[in-house]
Formats: sequence, structure tokens, C-alpha cells
Amino acid sequence: MSHEPFDTLAAVYAVGALDGGDLARFEAHLREGCSTCETIVRESSEALAGLARERPPVIPPAHVREALIRRVDASSRPRTSRRRWIPWALGTAAAAVAAAAFTAGMVASRYEARLGVLARETAQVREQLRREQALLREEVAAARAVADLLRMPATRVVALNGLAAAPTASGRIIWHDQAGGRLYVNGLPPAPEGKTYELWTIAGAAPRPAGTFDVDTAGRASRPVMPPDDGPVKVFAVTLEPAGGVPAPTGPMVLASAK
Amino acid sequence: MTGIDLVRRMAEGDRDAFARFYDRHARQVYPLILRIVRDHADAADVLQEVFWEAWQSAASYDPGRGTPEAWIFMRARTRAIDRVRAIRRRSETFVAPVDERVAAAAADAGGDAAERAEDRDLVLGALGQLPEAQREVIELAYYGGLTQTEIAERLTQPLGTVKTRIRLGLERLREVLNRSP
Repeated sequence: MSHEPFDTLAAVYAVGALDGGDLARFEAHLREGCSTCETIVRESSEALAGLARERPPVIPPAHVREALIRRVDASSRPRTSRRRWIPWALGTAAAAVAAAAFTAGMVASRYEARLGVLARETAQVREQLRREQALLREEVAAARAVADLLRMPATRVVALNGLAAAPTASGRIIWHDQAGGRLYVNGLPPAPEGKTYELWTIAGAAPRPAGTFDVDTAGRASRPVMPPDDGPVKVFAVTLEPAGGVPAPTGPMVLASAK
Repeated sequence: MTGIDLVRRMAEGDRDAFARFYDRHARQVYPLILRIVRDHADAADVLQEVFWEAWQSAASYDPGRGTPEAWIFMRARTRAIDRVRAIRRRSETFVAPVDERVAAAAADAGGDAAERAEDRDLVLGALGQLPEAQREVIELAYYGGLTQTEIAERLTQPLGTVKTRIRLGLERLREVLNRSP
């Protein structure tokens, strides 16, 4: 078999777009130690990094660095083993399938079709697991960020009350004036088509936009909130706005904290 | 100190090496995340997670597979796409697929003026030297997180065409970017 199809798969893999049976096939090929493909993947990744490097630099908010340094200081040394078992198990399972495919190919070609089906199913299960793992990782990261926040003495909990437009709604913000925090909302009806909810911080003269969010079918939502650059927040408020959010509030207020 | 040395020291638990690694890369990694998730608070969250994971998995970095820079950009891109997917899954009222954001940006219909200007500037860079059809598939995959099948469905093109465009586009990018490092 010519190597040409793998040149293409390697490029698609490098940009993170390979899926289905192609992904299973290419990963099995990589595990056989194809240096041509390794080179294509490596050079493509470098080119994509070059693309990212072309963007004008943006200095990230200082609290990110501070939080990272705190976390790194709190961890005596890097620990990786505990979180490794899922990729390990996936890798082992896929390696077993690939090894089986190789042997079967030597012994009896009629097994190949069945193994192809198996490989595709494995690829689907892996993709599903990968997505679920990503979702879990998100949730763990959010929970960990809140735990970090709650450890800080100056962190407080701000209550948000539902107003006339949404009397059943309520909210809480875990808040630290410098580090920011996280918003939790309950009992808010889903925003109408073409609308979204937008959070505002009021510290100075004008409200500052603090991000948009949508609620799930149970009326719940949660999102990170950054500290505004115009001083300590006096009031938090949520309004209903056109989808995508707006720079200054225009719609009805649904939630607000007490002054 | 080279980037590889920095990561090696991180793997040994050197916190100063981590701070230097962050200072060296964060201001390039942050705009990449921002380009994908399009929300400053979410982007800051993802940035923290990416560097935290880099600290935790520095020992698994293999210099044979690429520079530390490509390593951290790859992690940042993956986590940013994960974040966009998680947001999409969590808000069930949001029915549009993830790629709508990219499509909106490409059509200049979304984002603020600064974002649009930034996207235009980029087109003048390495991506701008690609034929439109190749640029489109690379943007949908790299920034939009779409798989080859999703891109083919979206563009109503045969899967084989999409794969070939990606390969040709990346080959061209490698040429352009390696010529002017």
C-alpha cells in the first residue's frame, strides 16, 4: 500500500480534525512508528504554532498569573499519575485492537471486516469518552477555581434577587474584589429566541458588561466573572439583552444585588 | 535558557522555571484562546487551566515531537475547543452548532470592530497567502474545532476534497512560515 493516503491523514490529524475510522487507522499507523508521519505532524504543528504566533500579543489579566503561582506553590511537585489512567486505558484498548488487526490480517483476511467494524466502534467510544472527559475536566476546573476562591479570607457571597421581570429567579456570586469570582443562577426562565442574559458590574459611574450566559432547561446557569477595572463592585445586575450581548444595558433587569 | 531546559526544570518541580515559562508564552497563548472562545473571562479561565496542566505534565513533554512552543499552543487550542464545546453542551437553549461562531466571524457579522480588524490583519499574514478554499478549511478545523466530517457537511463538499484542501493548505503554511521564521 502506498504511503500517500497517510500524508493526508497526518495533516488532518495535526490540525485536530481527524475523526471516525480514519482516526483509528492513522493512530494505529503512528503506533507502528512511521517517521514520515511523525515528521509531517511535527512540522504541521510548528506551522500552526507559527500561525498563532502571528497574532498580536495580548497581556493576560494579572490574576491568572497570581492564581497559577499560588497553585504551583501549594503543590509540592508535579503530580500526574492519578489523572493519567483514562488516557492510559484508552491507549491500551486501542493498542490491543491495533495489534489484533495486524495479526488477523496475517492469519485470515475474513476477520478484517469484523475488526474494521470493531475499530470504528472503538473510535466512536473514544470520541465519546474524550468529549465526556473534556466536559468533566471543565466542571472540575470550575469547582477547583471556586474552592481556591473560598480559601481566600476576603471572599464573600453576594445574593442576587429576582425582580418583577423574573420573580422566581435567584442568584449567588462567590466574589473576591481582586480575583473575581463565579455566578450561580437558579429559576430563571430560558431567554427568548434571539436574546441572552448579560451580567453587569457597577463600580464607577456606568455599568460594565461582565459576560453573557444562557440557562439550562431547569433554569440554572453558572459562569466565571472577572473583576472590572473601575474599582470594587457595589452592585451586580442581570438584564435580558440581544444575543451576543451589548456594551451598555438596554433590556429589562431580571436580577440585582442589594446596594 | 532554552525552552526545552525550562520545561525539563518544570518537570523537576522548579517553580521559577514555571514562572519564566508562563512569562515567555502567556501573551501569545492568550490571544489564541481568545480567538477561539471569544470571551475574556472564559479565555482567562482556559489560560489558567492550560498552564496548570503544562506544569503537571511537564514530565511527559518529548522534545522529539516538537518545540515547547508548539506543545503549549497545541494544549491551548485543544482546551479552548473543549471549552467552546462544553458551553454549547451546557446551554441547551443554544441550538446553533459550534461553527456558527466561526462562520459569523468569517462573514464579518460577529465580534466587535477591533476583532474584525484583527481578523483582517491575520488574513494578510501567512493564512492570507493561502487560496480561499484552503484557508477556510484550516480556520474551521483549527479555530472552529470542526472535524473533517463536520467541515464536509458544513461546506457540502466531498470528504476527500476537504482532506486534500487541509493537506495542501498545511503544506503551503509550512512553506510560508519556514521561509520567514
